[in-house]
Amino acid sequence: MNRKQQIFEGVFTNNPVLVQQIGLCATMAISTTLFNGIGMGLSVLIILTCCNVVVSLIRKIIPEQVRLAIFVVVIAGFVTIVDLLLQAFIPALSNALGVFIPLIVVNCIIIGRAEAFSSKNSVKDSFFDGVFQGLGYTVVLICMCLFRELLGSGTIGGGLLNGATSFFTLDGTGAGIRIFPQEYAAGILVLPFGGFLTLGLLMALMQHMLSKREARRAAKEKEDDE
Amino acid sequence: MNEQRNLIVSSSPHIRTPRDTKVIMLDVLIALAPAFLASIIFFGWRPIMVTAVSVASCVLFEFGYRKLMKKPDTYGDLSAVVTGVLMAFCLPPTVPWWLPIIGALFAIVVVKQLFGGIGKNFLNPALAGRAFLLASYAVLMTNWMPASFQNVDAATYATPLASLSGGALSSVSLGAMLIGNVGGSIGEISAVALLLGGAWLVYRKVISLRIPLSFIGTVAVITLIFSRGNPHFMWMLQNVFSGGLLLGAIFMATDYCTSPVTPKGQIIFGVGCGLLTVLIRYFGSYPEGVSYAILIMNLTVWMIDKNTAPRRFGTEPKRPIRDLFARLGKKKEAAE
Amino acid sequence: MNKTLQMFKPGLMLLMVAAAAAFILGLVNLATAGRIAAIAEETMRGAMQSVLPAAAYTDTGAEDDGEVEAIYAAEGGGWVVRVTESGSQGLITMMVGVSSDYACTGISITESSETAGLGAVAGQQSEKGEAFRAQFVGQSGTVAVTKEGGEIDAISGATITSKAVCKGVTAAIAACQALGGAQSAPVVEAVGPSSEAVVVPADAGPGYVTLPSGEPSMG
Repeated sequence: MNRKQQIFEGVFTNNPVLVQQIGLCATMAISTTLFNGIGMGLSVLIILTCCNVVVSLIRKIIPEQVRLAIFVVVIAGFVTIVDLLLQAFIPALSNALGVFIPLIVVNCIIIGRAEAFSSKNSVKDSFFDGVFQGLGYTVVLICMCLFRELLGSGTIGGGLLNGATSFFTLDGTGAGIRIFPQEYAAGILVLPFGGFLTLGLLMALMQHMLSKREARRAAKEKEDDE
Repeated sequence: MNEQRNLIVSSSPHIRTPRDTKVIMLDVLIALAPAFLASIIFFGWRPIMVTAVSVASCVLFEFGYRKLMKKPDTYGDLSAVVTGVLMAFCLPPTVPWWLPIIGALFAIVVVKQLFGGIGKNFLNPALAGRAFLLASYAVLMTNWMPASFQNVDAATYATPLASLSGGALSSVSLGAMLIGNVGGSIGEISAVALLLGGAWLVYRKVISLRIPLSFIGTVAVITLIFSRGNPHFMWMLQNVFSGGLLLGAIFMATDYCTSPVTPKGQIIFGVGCGLLTVLIRYFGSYPEGVSYAILIMNLTVWMIDKNTAPRRFGTEPKRPIRDLFARLGKKKEAAE
Repeated sequence: MNKTLQMFKPGLMLLMVAAAAAFILGLVNLATAGRIAAIAEETMRGAMQSVLPAAAYTDTGAEDDGEVEAIYAAEGGGWVVRVTESGSQGLITMMVGVSSDYACTGISITESSETAGLGAVAGQQSEKGEAFRAQFVGQSGTVAVTKEGGEIDAISGATITSKAVCKGVTAAIAACQALGGAQSAPVVEAVGPSSEAVVVPADAGPGYVTLPSGEPSMG
């Protein structure tokens, strides 16, 4: 399988959030600071990759009738492991993401990729699918966080950058780099409404780009025919 | 292609009218002039600044978006000017100069243009802009100033609505409310000026009286029956003449593309707006409910229109109850 | 025979996968449980230290009445009360320090799900948040926001959250009064050191602990 095409699909043409439109709930809820966005994105990336590998490993021996139940057990297992590890080693992230880490169990991206991809493809391909789809998810989250945080509170990299003690911090106390004073920030963007608005705008942008690309391809084909 | 445009084939009646969007919008602007004048008299230069910034940025965003998306220009139809004026009219006169720009960006680009431009937006852009600003800059958006002829302490100034929402009659006299010698948003203070504008719109047949009358009437009836002040009649009058009720009922709830087209639907729309306004004023955490009431009812317009569409000529009238009995009767027959 | 096996195979597979998952989870839990408990303990201690510094806290065993969840007596006088109130989005859990003369010595919000940018300010490590919480120091009796005749300036746009915090502090003070009255003796000597502790320095960290611990004053 072509890796280049795979990464292009994961981030762009078959992006889990903007094109497949799955896993939206957490996307809208936690994308308020860069710290949350990167933390959530990487958590999903790791869980997705692990689940893809395991599901692909056992794809030939699991019976058809209980495959979904087995997927869920595998996913829930990995999610709980990540949850416990976060609580133990990055408690600030665990506090910030709260219930949305355990909720990855029911995130459609993971069970969707298990059913649609890794249960039919080799371990190697599944591994890369997990990484690239996770990357697509993370990129969208980071875009949303940057947009909402910048316009909604006037900072960049909240929780992650400009900590009291160092430039980079993992304890969630970073104030972020202030771009403009808080009083000018449109606070509604860090509220749930801002999540819907930002996601809608991003989706519209993505559809715009995809349709342009499609038109270009159609024009080219027509040219080739003639 | 262009030649075909001159030959439009349509069904009768073939009536031509010089009234297009631009003429209607011009009428609305004329009708808004008295309220603008009143605000300048009572608040000084600030309303001019806020309205100018609001209108300029609305037109600019409309122009810029259409250019960017390579769509035909629509700034010439004056609808963006009306949106700019209306949005400025529901801001306090004290807002900083940059606030209307942000409101205009949301109103014109997100609410109006992203959904297809004039005639296709499902929310009133001016009110949506105000709601966006109120949620984002609550402090700036509730920073009132007294009218220049009012003898009050400016530091602790509150609008009549603040006192009404606290369940007490305002100390502002009814006469002051009528002419506009009272604090509030730029365009809402003078009841007389707004009524004058409304009369112009009705005279020019730009709006019908259905929505404004049912809206204001509902508020009047409910506040009279469930009065919280004494005398009850005074409570009702203060509720009608304070806040943005007249501005909203005459200029915003009557917006063509965000209100029902059927006469029955317009009455339902007006009553709904009135009901929600009183509910929000009585039980909500904000003292004013007009803008949210209209926005919420905007969302129901498709439903109202669908259910109040007049019967097509020649079709069976709908008689839900008789139909139900008829169906039950058939079932019985089938069972026997 | 073969047929029976066919019938049970899916169930057996599921059982095996679940058992493997459970085993691995057990191992991870074993490795992390100690650390997680230590972090929780440290967080709670940090919150207690920030509202009423003391060398040690003992649980008074007060009953959880749905509002006041637990009362810890601070060594050297005063109490730290864990209170839960319902805010605008969900429950707000906070630590309230109460001195032995029943004045609030500081509050710390340990858990809340208030709206980011509005109610969440109450618990934030920001200038606004600190200013809001600092208002509670020295309050006693019934604590209320200015709108309701009290002295606390509500966070703008978050009246419900502010009211909930006020209610929690009031409940904490009342609970301590009930407790103190029952014991009949928030001993006079105890007032000395603890009244100094009332003034919580802005950077009351773990280093501050030494102040009230002194010698056993009851002796």
